[in-house]
Amino acid sequence: MPAILTADGVGKSYGSGSARMPIIDGLTLSIAKGEFVSLVGPSGCGKTTLLMCLSGLLAPSDGAVSFKGQVVDQPPIGLSVVFQDYSRSLLPWKTNLDNVLFGMRRVQGMDARAKRARAEEILAAVGLTGFGGHYPWQVSGGMQQRVAIARGIASQSELLLLDEPLAAVDAQTRADMQDLLLDVAQRFKQTCVLVTHDVEEAVYMANRVLVLGPRPTRVVREVVVDLPMPRDQLTTREAPGFLHARHEVLALIRGMRQGQKLS
Amino acid sequence: MKPTTRIALLGLSVPAAILILWQIAALLQPTPLFPGPGKVVLAIWKNYPVILHELGITLLRAGAGFAVASLTMIPLGIFLGRFRSLGKVLEPLMDMLATLPPPAIIPLVMLFAGTGDWAKVVIIAYAAAVPLLMNTYEASHSIHPMLSRVARSLHLSRLETMRLIDLPSSLPMIATGARLAIASSLLVSVTSEMLLSTNGIGTYLQRSQETFKIDAGLAGIAFISLAGVLVNAGVFRLEKKWLFWHYRDQRPTE
Ligand SMILES: Nc1ncnc2c1ncn2[C@@H]1O[C@H](COP(=O)(O)OP(=O)(O)OP(=O)(O)O)[C@@H](O)[C@H]1O
Ligand SMILES: [Mg+2]
Repeated sequence: MPAILTADGVGKSYGSGSARMPIIDGLTLSIAKGEFVSLVGPSGCGKTTLLMCLSGLLAPSDGAVSFKGQVVDQPPIGLSVVFQDYSRSLLPWKTNLDNVLFGMRRVQGMDARAKRARAEEILAAVGLTGFGGHYPWQVSGGMQQRVAIARGIASQSELLLLDEPLAAVDAQTRADMQDLLLDVAQRFKQTCVLVTHDVEEAVYMANRVLVLGPRPTRVVREVVVDLPMPRDQLTTREAPGFLHARHEVLALIRGMRQGQKLS
Repeated sequence: MKPTTRIALLGLSVPAAILILWQIAALLQPTPLFPGPGKVVLAIWKNYPVILHELGITLLRAGAGFAVASLTMIPLGIFLGRFRSLGKVLEPLMDMLATLPPPAIIPLVMLFAGTGDWAKVVIIAYAAAVPLLMNTYEASHSIHPMLSRVARSLHLSRLETMRLIDLPSSLPMIATGARLAIASSLLVSVTSEMLLSTNGIGTYLQRSQETFKIDAGLAGIAFISLAGVLVNAGVFRLEKKWLFWHYRDQRPTE
């Protein structure tokens, strides 16, 4: 499979002079078309910063990011981001449905009516039937997060970058949303990069888990999840391959935490 | 009686008491230079067609000046907020203009535009421009960076970002600016007529004063404040309609 997204020796630091703080250092990764890749790493290690660099919203200080062979310096067409700061990323003067439609501005070959039908369908899929006419500030945080996901899906981008998209969603809905994201990715042949704190989720969703090190971060380990798609909330989570991958990732992260405590 | 009703009644009793005291004072001092409320009501009845006509002229000029200011200053403020470096360069100039009282430019405008309707509209527009520009600029240049990221990630052009993101999110502060601008439009409209005009409610007040028709003058003032109250009520309704998402106090009950 050809790579859709690559990062080559990417470094990023905030500030300058003595206040300069390196966040990412010499990070290299490659995402193949159609893959579902999870990124996990300690809190504050620079996952959001990395996603901003990958999406072209932040310029790396070193190295380069390429999307479909083109160097990224602006968010490219065909790449969408679901932001961690979901409540600020929704427009409060637009209804939930209009927020989703706003994500479809660049979708080709659909008239206004078809777009509306599609947006309603996606809202229904994320379990928000009947909330399209509400405003984001009228619904709970978990629901806002699902509106943000719906907007990301609706863009029909080839590559979706998701920054902890399920952090505020309650446990039961979370399992449904995981399956929904997997299903959508499969159906629309979307490539997904998912940042998450939840190791179980990272393994359950992904073909590969990239474990990031503490700040300044880089990829310290790649864990391949050798399990068939579609996944199943019961059987997948009991499969030896799942348990094995989960163990490996957890052990790595625990090692990092202990390393931090000692230093 | 509900507490709110009681407060409302108390609030009305203050102006009522003033009217009564005023009437008593006027009866004790029978001179045309000190008409009581009764005389003013009579003057309103006698003069309202003229007053409404003159007030209409004044409001028209105030409205024209305000419209000119809104149509230029809101886009300019949004633009300067998005193009930060240009905004920063012009900030000192904006601060200087903000401290210049509108009547101070009257002689300058007279020099270039004479004393006609357009000269007055220019002065009013200047008075309205300052609060509109300051508030729009302040709002659009302090928009949360997250919204700019959303705009960029949705591939909006700069123009689309200004129209679809910056303008709506600046609206609450633009509304504050518009309130101030409306107040100074009215103020400057009346003032400019007192200084250099042959019509409008400002001239009417001036003439009434000069010909000792104090009751007619007071009738004119009553109409000005009525107009002010009505305009404010209109603005309030528009704000409720367009900015409900900003005053998001209530969740829907389900
Ligand atoms: N604009 C900025 N200027 C300076 N420092 C920043 C900026 N944004 C983030 N940082 C710092 O960079 C570090 C990494 O932040 P980032 O948000 O990328 O981490 P994260 O891994 O996404 O964290 P979390 O797990 O909490 O989401 C943090 O220490 C943060 O304080
Ligand atoms: Mg983050």
